Amino acid sequence: MENKKDFSNPKYYENRELSWLKFDERVLAEARDKTIPLLERLKFVSITSSNLDEFYMVRVASLKDMVHAGYKKKDISGMTAGEQLAKINERTRKLVDLQYSTYNRSLTPLMKASGICVIDAFEELNEEQAAFVDRYFDESVYPVLTPMAVDASRPFPLIRNKTLNIAALLTRKKGKETKETKEAVEFATVQVPSVLPRLIELPETNQEQRTFLLLEQIIEKNIDKLFLNYEVQCAYPYRIMRNADLTIDEDEAADLLKEIQKQLKKRQWGEVIRLEVEEKIDKKLLRFLKEELKVAEEDIFKISGPIDLTFLMKMCGLSGCDHLRYAPHLPQRVAGLEAGEDIFAAIRKGDLFLHHPYQTFDPVVDFIRQAAKDPDVLAIKQTLYRVSGNSPIIASLAQAAENGKQVSVLVELKARFDEENNIVWAKKLEQAGCHVIYGLVGLKTHSKIALVVRREEDGIRRYVHLGTGNYNDSTAKLYTDCGIFTCNEAIGEDATAVFNMLSGYSEPLSWNELVLAPIWLRKKFMKLIRREAKHAKEGKQAKIVAKMNSLCDEGIIAALYEASAAGVKIELIVRGICSLKVGIPGISENITVRSIVGNFLEHSRIFYFLNDGMEELYMGSADWMPRNLDRRVEILFPVLDKEIQKQVKHILEVELSDNMKAHLLQSDGIYEKIDKRGKVLVNSQMQFCEEAAKAAPKQNHVYSDRVFRPKESAE
Amino acid sequence: MGICTFAAIYIGSYEVSLKIFELSAKKKIRSVNHVRRRIELGRDAYSKGSIGYELAEALCDTLGEFTKMMKEYGADAYEAYASAVLRDAKNALFILDQIKIRTGLHVHVLSNSEHRFISYKSVAMRAEFEEMIQSGAAVLDVGGGGMQITVFVGGKVVTTQHLGLGTMRMQEQLSKTSSTLSQYQKQMEEMVEKELEVFQSMYLKEQQVQYMIIIGDYITELVRKVEKNHDENTVELAKFVRYLEKLGKKSLEEMCSDLGLSNEKDAFLIPYMMIFKCMARRMAQGRLWAPGVIVSDGIACDYAEKHNIYHAAHDFEDDILSAAKSLSKRYLSYSPHIDALASMSVQIFDAMKKCHGMGKRERLLLQVAAILHDCGKYISLADNPRCSYDIIMASEIIGLSHLERQIAANAVFYNTYPLVSYEELEDSMSKESYLVVAKLSAILRIANAMDRSHRQKFRDVRAVLRGKELIVTIETVDDIALEKALLETKKTYFENVFCIKLILKEKRIYN
Repeated sequence: MENKKDFSNPKYYENRELSWLKFDERVLAEARDKTIPLLERLKFVSITSSNLDEFYMVRVASLKDMVHAGYKKKDISGMTAGEQLAKINERTRKLVDLQYSTYNRSLTPLMKASGICVIDAFEELNEEQAAFVDRYFDESVYPVLTPMAVDASRPFPLIRNKTLNIAALLTRKKGKETKETKEAVEFATVQVPSVLPRLIELPETNQEQRTFLLLEQIIEKNIDKLFLNYEVQCAYPYRIMRNADLTIDEDEAADLLKEIQKQLKKRQWGEVIRLEVEEKIDKKLLRFLKEELKVAEEDIFKISGPIDLTFLMKMCGLSGCDHLRYAPHLPQRVAGLEAGEDIFAAIRKGDLFLHHPYQTFDPVVDFIRQAAKDPDVLAIKQTLYRVSGNSPIIASLAQAAENGKQVSVLVELKARFDEENNIVWAKKLEQAGCHVIYGLVGLKTHSKIALVVRREEDGIRRYVHLGTGNYNDSTAKLYTDCGIFTCNEAIGEDATAVFNMLSGYSEPLSWNELVLAPIWLRKKFMKLIRREAKHAKEGKQAKIVAKMNSLCDEGIIAALYEASAAGVKIELIVRGICSLKVGIPGISENITVRSIVGNFLEHSRIFYFLNDGMEELYMGSADWMPRNLDRRVEILFPVLDKEIQKQVKHILEVELSDNMKAHLLQSDGIYEKIDKRGKVLVNSQMQFCEEAAKAAPKQNHVYSDRVFRPKESAE
Repeated sequence: MGICTFAAIYIGSYEVSLKIFELSAKKKIRSVNHVRRRIELGRDAYSKGSIGYELAEALCDTLGEFTKMMKEYGADAYEAYASAVLRDAKNALFILDQIKIRTGLHVHVLSNSEHRFISYKSVAMRAEFEEMIQSGAAVLDVGGGGMQITVFVGGKVVTTQHLGLGTMRMQEQLSKTSSTLSQYQKQMEEMVEKELEVFQSMYLKEQQVQYMIIIGDYITELVRKVEKNHDENTVELAKFVRYLEKLGKKSLEEMCSDLGLSNEKDAFLIPYMMIFKCMARRMAQGRLWAPGVIVSDGIACDYAEKHNIYHAAHDFEDDILSAAKSLSKRYLSYSPHIDALASMSVQIFDAMKKCHGMGKRERLLLQVAAILHDCGKYISLADNPRCSYDIIMASEIIGLSHLERQIAANAVFYNTYPLVSYEELEDSMSKESYLVVAKLSAILRIANAMDRSHRQKFRDVRAVLRGKELIVTIETVDDIALEKALLETKKTYFENVFCIKLILKEKRIYN
C-alpha cells in the first residue's frame, strides 16, 4: 500500500514571478563575474534592465489587473495577486539596488581604468566639453524638445510609457513676479527625445580616454533655455511604467478576461505601475509627481544612477574596444550542407541536425530559398512567429509565390511586442500571392515548422524542417536552438496534417510521430513521465532529463514529484522560471534543477526519457508552462535518427556537466554556482563552439590561382 | 506510365473531404493528403428538403480551397462525388451549377447503388477481405443518409439491402421529440431494432456469417477502445456489444472524451453507436472488423480501375452476377434454363462483337438480364415481364448503377413486349441507353427462343459471324421443331436491330 501524498500541495511550489526574478538575478550575476570582459558585463546589466521592464509591463501589470478586478484565486504556490505584488516589490528593490551597486561600484571604476568615462553630472565637464554640449543642445536637441508646463489652465500632460522625462520646478524670475505668484512654484516636464542617441561622446584631449555624457544631462544643463521667464529651481529625470499594454497576459486569461476588459474601459489611459526617479530628487517635486501620476508610495523606485540602464547595450558595441569583449562568434558551417549544394539531395541521404548558434542558420534559409527556385517544388508551407527585420526567408517565400508555387504562411500576429512588425511583412507576403493565415482564434501558433512538397520521380516527397526556435536569422546567432531536416514519410504526413489543421480543416484521423498542443501534448508528456514512474516502481532504472526555458505547470510538476517519489532520477535544465522545488523529503529528492546563463540565450527544448533502455528523445517548441500546453499550437517531435539521438544526448550530457555557467537550485530555493574544486572546468556553450568548429568542413579553396575555369555541365 | 496524382472529393451529409492519392501500377495507391471539414448539409436537406444559402456558401468556399490544395500537390485528375444529401435536396441542380461556376469543379451526384459500390470497393481492395467473405461476412456501410448491408457467403454476394437508417436522417427526425439523452437513445434503439428485425427475418435467416465488416465514422475509435492492441482493428462482437452498453450509460461528454473525439459533444456518436450495437447484438457471434476505409479510397480505386492504372484482386463483376443469381433464387426462378440462356446469349454476343459495338459492361448487363428475365413469375405468370421489370428496379445489385439497372430491366421487359419507339421512352433514358436496350433484348429474344421448352435440347451451340450473316449451329438429339418455329418469329426483330441475317443450322446427333 502506498500512502497517498498530495503532490499538488501549494507549499511544494514556487511562485513563478519570484522565480523569474531569481532568473534576472542570475543574469546580473554574470555582470558581476570578474572573468568576463568588461563590455560583456555591461551588456548583462543592460539585459537585466530590459528584462525587468518587460516583466513589469506584462506580469506586474496583469497582477495589478487581478487585484483591481478583485480576483481572489491563488496561484500554485498559494499566493494571492496582492501577496505576490508585495513580494515582487520587495525583491525587485533588492535587484535594482544590486544592479546599480554593480554598475556604480564595480563597472564604472573598471570603465574608468579602461579609459571609458560616463560623466554622470554635467558639472564635471571641462570647458571645451561644456561648449560642445551647449552647441549640441542648441543644434540637435532643442528643436525636438516639447516642454510642457502645468498650471490652472494646462492640465498635467500625458507621460508616455517607458519614456525618460525631466521634471522641473520653476519660479517666476525676479521682478516679474506678481503678488499672487510670489510664492507659487510651477511644475514643468519635458520628454528626453527617444529619436536622439542616449549616449553622446564628448571631445577628449586625452587620446587614451573616451568620455560620454547622457542626453538627459545635456538637457538638464541647458534647461533654463526652455523656460526663459522662469527660474529653474531644480530638474530631475524620471520614468514611468504604465499598465498600458492592453494585451492581457494569456496565462490568467479565460474567465478573467471579461472582467479585465471592463476595468480597462474605465480608465483613460493605463495606470502608472512604477515610477523611477533619481535618488536625490527634490521632495516637493516628487510629491507633485506622485500626486499627478497617482502612483502609490510603494511603486516609487529611487535610483542611484542613470535611470534606464538599457543604454549600456550601446556601450557594448563600442567601436575600437574589441579587447574588452568576446571575439564575435561566427556560426560554423555544417558538413553536407554547404552553401550552393542541393539541400534536398542532402536531406534524402538522411536526417540532418542543426545546433544553433554553434552551427549556422544558413541551411534553413537556404532550404526555403532553394525551394522557391526548384521547378519540382509544388508547395511551401511555414509558420512564422518572430521574424528578423529584413528576413531572407520572407523574401524567398514571396519569390516562391511569384514563381507559381503554392505558398501558405501562418503569421502569428499575437507575438508580443512584434505585432506591428508582423503586420507589415504579412501584407508584403499577401501582395506576392502567398496564402497568409493570420493566426488562429484564441490560440497562439508557437510551433516552428516548415514543409516543402516536391514532386519527384517516385511520387510526392515531403521535406520538413522542425525546430525549437523561431525562423529568425538574427536571433539564431544568439539563441541556442536545435532543428532537424527530414524527409521521413511519417513526419511528412504529420506535417501536412498540421498545416491542414492550421488552415481550418478537421483534425486528422491519426498522427504518426508529431504531438501537438493544445490537444494532445499535455497528455503525451504526462504519459511519458508516468511511464518512467511505472518503470521505477517495477524496480527498473528510470530517468528523465528535460531542458527548457520555463517550468511552471502544476500538472507536470505534480507528475514529476510523483515520479521522483517513485524513484525516477530527474535532471532538469531550466533557464528561467522554475516553480518546482528540489529536495523536499519524500517528494522531490531525486530531482535536480540547473540553470545555464551564458553568452548565448539558452532556448532549445529537449526531453529525454530512459524508457527501460528503449531511450526516447523529443524536441519541440513548448515549455512546461500552462500557456504552452493549453493555449498555444506547439509541436513536439521525436528524434528518430540514431546518429542524431547521439548528438542530442551529447548536448544534454555536456550541459549537465557544465560547472562554469550553470547555477544549481538548492532546496532553500537559492541558485548557487557549482563548486569547481577538483573538477575539470566545463563551459557548455564554449565547448559546443569548439566542437562545431572542429566538425565544420575545411575550407578547400581559400587561395585559388587566377585561372578561368571552364564550366561543366551540371549533371 | 508514371504516377497519376488523383484527387477524390466527397460531399457527405455532414462532412466534405478531399483526399489526394498517387496511383501507379507499381505502388498501387498511396495517400498523400487528406482534409475534412464539417459542413452539415444534411441538417437542411433532411429537414427542409433543400440546402440553404449559408451552407451552400460554405460548401463552395471549401471546394474552392480544395482546388487550391489540388494545385499544391499538382493533381492530374479529380472526381467529385456527392452523396444522398444532394440526391435528396430539391435545389441540388442549382447548387451543382454554382459549384461549377465558382470553383470549376464538376460534381457528380451518386446514386445509392453507385455510392455503396464505391465504399464497398474501398473495403474489397484490402487483403483481409477475400478471406473474410469466404467464411461469410456482412458488410455494414453506415452513412448520414442511409445504411447498406451486403451479405457474402462463400465468397459470393448473397444480398445487398439499403435501409433508410441514416445517422443524420435519424437525428433530424428525433431531435425534435426527445428530451433526455437516455430517452433519445431508447427511441433511436427502437427505431433501429425494428428495421433490423425485418431485415434479419427476410435476409439473414439461414446465412451464417462469421464477420461483420463496418464502414462508417467512429467505428475505428470504438474498436480501438475495446481492443487495446489495435494492429488489426478486429474485435469480438460480444465484447464490442458489452463495451457499447457500458459506454451508453455515460454522458455525451464522457463518451466523447473516452473516445478522444475532437468535438466535446458530438451528437452524431449516438445514432452510430445505436446502429453498431443493434447490428452487433443480432449477429452475436463472430468478429467485427473496422477496416478504417473511407469513401474517398473507393473513389480512387474506381478511378484507377477505370483508367487501367491497376486492378483490384477482387472480381467485382463476379459480385454482380452472383447478386443477380441470388436474386433469381430468391424468386424461385433459378433453373438450368437460366444458365443455358445466359451462356447462349453470351455466345451470340461474343460472336457479334464486330457488329454490335458494345463492350464488356454491356455483356455483363446481358448476363444480368438473362439471369433475371423471368423472376417476375414469382408474382404473376401472366404479367411476368412487368413484374420482372419491377423486381429488378426495386432490388439493389451491388456494382450496377441506377442507369445500368434500368437498362437490364428494360432489356427483360422488351424481351417479351415489342419495343416501343424512342420517342415514347425519351423521358426516361438517353438515345445511347435506348440502343443498348434494343440490342440486348434482341439477343435475349433469340437465346430465349432457342430454349423455349426449358429442356436444354441443344447440346452444343456455336455462333459465327460470316459477312452479313450470323450462323448459329446447334447440335441436338431432340426434336427442336418448337424452337425453330419460335425463332422464325423472333428473327425479324433481331434482323431489324442489327441489320444481319440470322441463319440456324441444325446438326442432328444420332446416338
